[in-house]
Amino acid sequence: MGTGTILEVRGLEKHFGGLYALSGLDMEVRSGEIVSVIGPNGAGKSTLFNVVTGIYEPDAGDIRYEGVSIVGLRPHQVVKLGIARTFQSVRLFANMTILENAMVGQHCRSRGGVFGAILRTPGVRAEEERIRERAREALGFFGKRLSGYRLEQPAFSLSYANRRRLEMARALATDPKLLLLDEPTAGMNPRETLELRDHIVRMRDELGVTVIVIEHDMRVVKGVSDRVIACDYGQKIAEGTYEEVAHDERVIEAYLGTKAAG
Amino acid sequence: MARRWLRIGIPAGIVTIFLALVGLIGGFTDVYLIGDQISFAGLMLVLPAFVAGLVAAAPRVEGGERHEMRISEAAVAAAVAGAAAGATFALAAVLADWIGDERIRTVFLNVTPALMEFVTFGLATAIGALAVVAVSALAGVLGGVLRVAPASIRRPVTAAVIATLLFGFLQRVIPIALDQLSLERDWLYSPQFDGLTWIGALVVATVAAGISVLSTRFGTRLRGRLAGVTGVGGPMISPARVIAGVVALALLIAAPLLLGSVISEVLGTVMVFALLGIGLNIVVGYAGLLDLGYVFFFALGAYSLALLTGATLNAFGIPPEPVISGSLNFYVAIPIVMAIAAAAGVLVGAPVLRLRGDYLALVTLGLGEMVTVLVGSPWLVPLVGGPSGMRGITDAAIGGLAFRDPQRFYYLALAFVGLAAFVSWRLAASRIGRAWTAMREDEQTADAMGISTTRFKLLAFSIGGAIGSLGGALFAVKIGSLTPASFQVLVSIQVLGLVILGGMGSIPGVIVGALVLVGLPGLLREFEEYRFLAYGAAVVAIMVLRPQGLVPNVRRSRELQDEERAQDEWAKAAEEGETPPEIAPANGATT
Repeated sequence: MGTGTILEVRGLEKHFGGLYALSGLDMEVRSGEIVSVIGPNGAGKSTLFNVVTGIYEPDAGDIRYEGVSIVGLRPHQVVKLGIARTFQSVRLFANMTILENAMVGQHCRSRGGVFGAILRTPGVRAEEERIRERAREALGFFGKRLSGYRLEQPAFSLSYANRRRLEMARALATDPKLLLLDEPTAGMNPRETLELRDHIVRMRDELGVTVIVIEHDMRVVKGVSDRVIACDYGQKIAEGTYEEVAHDERVIEAYLGTKAAG
Repeated sequence: MARRWLRIGIPAGIVTIFLALVGLIGGFTDVYLIGDQISFAGLMLVLPAFVAGLVAAAPRVEGGERHEMRISEAAVAAAVAGAAAGATFALAAVLADWIGDERIRTVFLNVTPALMEFVTFGLATAIGALAVVAVSALAGVLGGVLRVAPASIRRPVTAAVIATLLFGFLQRVIPIALDQLSLERDWLYSPQFDGLTWIGALVVATVAAGISVLSTRFGTRLRGRLAGVTGVGGPMISPARVIAGVVALALLIAAPLLLGSVISEVLGTVMVFALLGIGLNIVVGYAGLLDLGYVFFFALGAYSLALLTGATLNAFGIPPEPVISGSLNFYVAIPIVMAIAAAAGVLVGAPVLRLRGDYLALVTLGLGEMVTVLVGSPWLVPLVGGPSGMRGITDAAIGGLAFRDPQRFYYLALAFVGLAAFVSWRLAASRIGRAWTAMREDEQTADAMGISTTRFKLLAFSIGGAIGSLGGALFAVKIGSLTPASFQVLVSIQVLGLVILGGMGSIPGVIVGALVLVGLPGLLREFEEYRFLAYGAAVVAIMVLRPQGLVPNVRRSRELQDEERAQDEWAKAAEEGETPPEIAPANGATT
């Protein structure tokens, strides 16, 4: 686990018409950290993820990943560099099996082409076996919940919590160095939420993945974060440990409104 | 209640009127299915009433519960629905008689005195009308009773009826095969009326019913045993599928020998369309890109093969010299044609990459239409001959063995279909197929998971295009000459139709689709002019009744079953007052 900066965001701006989703956001994430991004609805958290992963192109500012700018790259190129993500609204390939969903994650780490696929060369067969193995391993991260008989079941047959887990497993199957989790516990019951909290820590400790997590559940934020970044109106308004940020006046104001307004 | 039955019956009557007006009844009074009693026209007359009976006896769903009808209830409901259908039609017949058929004929050409006589059973109009109502009610009752009959009766009866009708329809095909095998045929097909004899029909029906009973009784056990012995029969391949596959393959190989050259001609066309279907299936079925301009690749393959193999312009006053000197052998030209088509696939694909769904369909439709216009335009006369086209296309000979003969051509085409099916199957089962599936499911997420959607869309267009061009090249060999008339937008629609009918993403489905949509109308020449009516009806029926297609993709149908099973478990668990399994798995949640 290195200690260098893995992700550096400088003066990031993204507008949708007149709406400033991001207006000059700065942040830095060091390798091996778990950083939580919090903020009220509409603070620009998901937009941040969408810009970092190449779904949107920023209007201004720079994003450096391992010291190299990744602005303007397409999403699939960003994944290949080692940044994987999950979505706030779970987005699985519903009619593919659970194993296949995870195997899609390995796509960017494999290269079998048309002729290899048609002739099924030994190289392609070995690669396919490796993809399958790696996908099983990623699913195995969540214990028995996504393995065994479930491997061959279509993703739509999963419960809500398992869909979220599968989405994370699929992201882990891309062999990421940096993982962006967008509200991973949304819609989970308290017990599942606590279980997931442990999983996030394990992703860092056992897999060595740096994690940025957008989260509303403060128990999770408190439990996992090395550092918390609070945003509002597309800008960073506070940064520090959970305790520091939780007692920051601007953060309280952003969540509860000013005293005069309240 | 009665209103519901009328709501079913009256539209069925209107369907019968429609069938009569388009000529499907009047034109077929002497096409006999069984003996000289049951004709195709007669079938058309009572079929809508029969279907109305089936529908009227369907279980009702009230408050989320299914109510199966008792037989007596079903018979009454179906009789009313059938009679309503008959009455609607009879009313139209009486009305037509009152107005006078010669006056109606100025608008509806098919309302002939023969039709009028047929639909009133040759009786006076009023009595005939009553007879129509009675016969329709009877047909309805048959449909209704069949619907509510227990499966042990319903299945064999359905099998018997379908088999008998199929044998009746194939009256131009099966007798030829029997002749080729030097088997006696007169007991099965009447030499006088062409259709089945009554004895023949009885034998066919009995055999079909027998097979149905046996397969229900022993099928499951046999399946289990076969799976145990051969190891075949995992979740992917059931032994029934393997057996069906082997039988189908044997039939495909033996067909031209059994059926002679006239039918082989039709089967050759079927194979060309199967090839087109396999290609389009990659674009539409695997990658989920709705392409309505597939005729582009068909034309490209045909014309580029013609040019490469030294075809000449089909025009007066021009000496028959190859357009391009230095003609190639067919087998050398084919890879070049495919390479050109693959490159063209990228060119066509590039501008439409950002379009989805309806927009993609519209743009590709336009691209396809451009091809028809281009090959017929004066501008390209020096290259492809314009409206008069080209001739003198290679017959794909190997040594002295030419392939223009329908039976030989069939085997050439079958070989290419086999090759294309193999390629398509291997691709679907690979990393590439997985990327296509992911892209079809959710394009943006696929991109965010590392799949270059641009690359895989272009790949689909290009491989689909290459296979389509192969279809075009074979078509050119088969016909020996080309005119723009063969490359209309209808080709795109036909190919899409057969892919949908067979089941998107399924290769056996494509072949079945081609046999049904291209083969059947070709075998029954009388139906040629109703081909597109049947197309439309078939596609609508499939989309409503069986959207996964006739022979669905194995994986998808398995998913559907799994979903049902999962729901069953869920419902059962909920009934027993337990927490459904998904929320609290048996292996225990570890917190």
